[in-house]
Amino acid sequence: MAIKQQSLSRRVPVWMALPSITLFSLFVILPAFLSIYFSLTSWDGLSPVMKFIGLQYYIDIAHDSRFWNAFRNSILLAVVLAVVENIVALALALLLDKVIKAKTLFRSIFYLPNLLSGIVTGYIWVALMNYSFGIFNVLLTHIGMTPVDWLGNPKIALWSIVFVMVWKGAGYYMIIYIAGLNSIPQDILEAADIDGVRPVRKFFSIIVPMLVGSFTINFTLSLINGLKVFDQIVAMTSGGPGFATETLTYQIYTVAFSDGRQGYGTAVAMTLFLLTLVISIVETKLTRRFEVEA
Amino acid sequence: MAATAKKWKPGDCVIFIIACILALAFFFPMFFSLISAFKTNGEILKNPIGLPQKINFANFVYLWNKTSIPRATLNSALLTIVSCLLIILFVPMSSYVIERRGGKFSSFFYPFFLAGMMIPFQAYMIPLFKELRVIGLFGTMAAPVIIYISGASSFGTLLYCSFIRGVPKEIEESAAIDGSSPFMTFWQIVFPLLKPCTASMLILQGVGIWNDFLMPMMVMPPNQPKTINVEIFSFIGEFQVRYDVLFCGTFVAIAPVILMFIFLQKYFVSGIMAGSVKS
Repeated sequence: MAIKQQSLSRRVPVWMALPSITLFSLFVILPAFLSIYFSLTSWDGLSPVMKFIGLQYYIDIAHDSRFWNAFRNSILLAVVLAVVENIVALALALLLDKVIKAKTLFRSIFYLPNLLSGIVTGYIWVALMNYSFGIFNVLLTHIGMTPVDWLGNPKIALWSIVFVMVWKGAGYYMIIYIAGLNSIPQDILEAADIDGVRPVRKFFSIIVPMLVGSFTINFTLSLINGLKVFDQIVAMTSGGPGFATETLTYQIYTVAFSDGRQGYGTAVAMTLFLLTLVISIVETKLTRRFEVEA
Repeated sequence: MAATAKKWKPGDCVIFIIACILALAFFFPMFFSLISAFKTNGEILKNPIGLPQKINFANFVYLWNKTSIPRATLNSALLTIVSCLLIILFVPMSSYVIERRGGKFSSFFYPFFLAGMMIPFQAYMIPLFKELRVIGLFGTMAAPVIIYISGASSFGTLLYCSFIRGVPKEIEESAAIDGSSPFMTFWQIVFPLLKPCTASMLILQGVGIWNDFLMPMMVMPPNQPKTINVEIFSFIGEFQVRYDVLFCGTFVAIAPVILMFIFLQKYFVSGIMAGSVKS
């Protein structure tokens, strides 16, 4: 058996992997490493010379209130999004678990917003959240309340974006939770029913522990997706009003391509990369711990 | 379907009604955008929720004659199809080598490819664009295709490796004894067994490419129509208050994706599941 396996592995030639390896190395890994170098230069995106300035931009960033504002917005948006999105997704999954008719149809409808592009999603909601004719304000004025400036009020705009992202993303995580629920052995649940375990107890003592795996995956994915948000912000607020919804991704874009400060933009990008790296490492550690327990 | 025979308890009705209300709330924004494509701008502003008074194709005529949407839609379709075909040509092959070869090769390249999933595009796009300029690909249609293949190989390796693991090696062994080369064995015997995996891959990547915005806006040929999402973006500003034209554009962007979803639903679900196993 061992000889057979070895002979098969010898026969599969490396060249079959070369196109992928070459493209991936050249257009993902290489630029990722070049980022480190770019962030140490004062390149403007056009000039042929890239002046080496060392860690200057990282020092500048540490003192730049615009950077810290974007950093704060990114973290706030990602964390609140991940929490709310997971609550909604789990609630939808539990609900669909109990629905006895048209399950697939409901699942499709909740998943559907996921298929829209960030730009399309953004513009649909720009219209729905419009101050004068958007449905939210039409309903509010209908019941005699004052309309709200959903995207123009700096205190509200970021939460409006989170709301839209929950609408768009919850269905995706719901599907992962549904699979998690389906993988819970039916006999455990039946045994609990026979023993007269109350539903609340059943939820916290059986269902929640069995969903820990789905939860870690979903929470990490939604955190990272929250950090990556860009298209919706472009479409809905352009980072405004003021800098109220400027995230790291949006700042990288404006600094590098509108202001022509590509070195500085890359330095900001490195912080974004470090954030996602930390999240991934924490996730792997947590998953290992839970796997040991289980 | 067995459920239809069951008697509905009062609790089931309550849950069903809650699900219906939530489904309506979730679907409403899409419904709003789809019907707005058939309304006049005045109708959208005056009665945003109502159905159009009469089905009105004027927006589509306008879109066809006066905007760059037709050309941009064609670009999007071309980019999506060509990139997907090349992804399916390269990624399964490399995954096959990684999965079957084993040893140092696999233990290096499997995490190597997966690492790409952790790097946000914004984190490396600036050097990437510079690189494309240096090799003369910046501002060509080839640039986005190359970036899509490179980007897809991360998730693709994860997806294909997990499926190839489930293919019994004995089939390949006997093919080799019959004198088939590994290359032919892969394409004639292994690849056809990976159909569900390929379907999931095509769908998830296809939707992703069709919906992409920032990268095509930056790297595609300047001063001509780019992709559908980029053109919709450029509407704002050009047509400040023309919501009718805007929603007609979003209709064109949404419709093909929804049609695909309706016919190929199960592959969307299995793709999401496979992607969540280890991320």
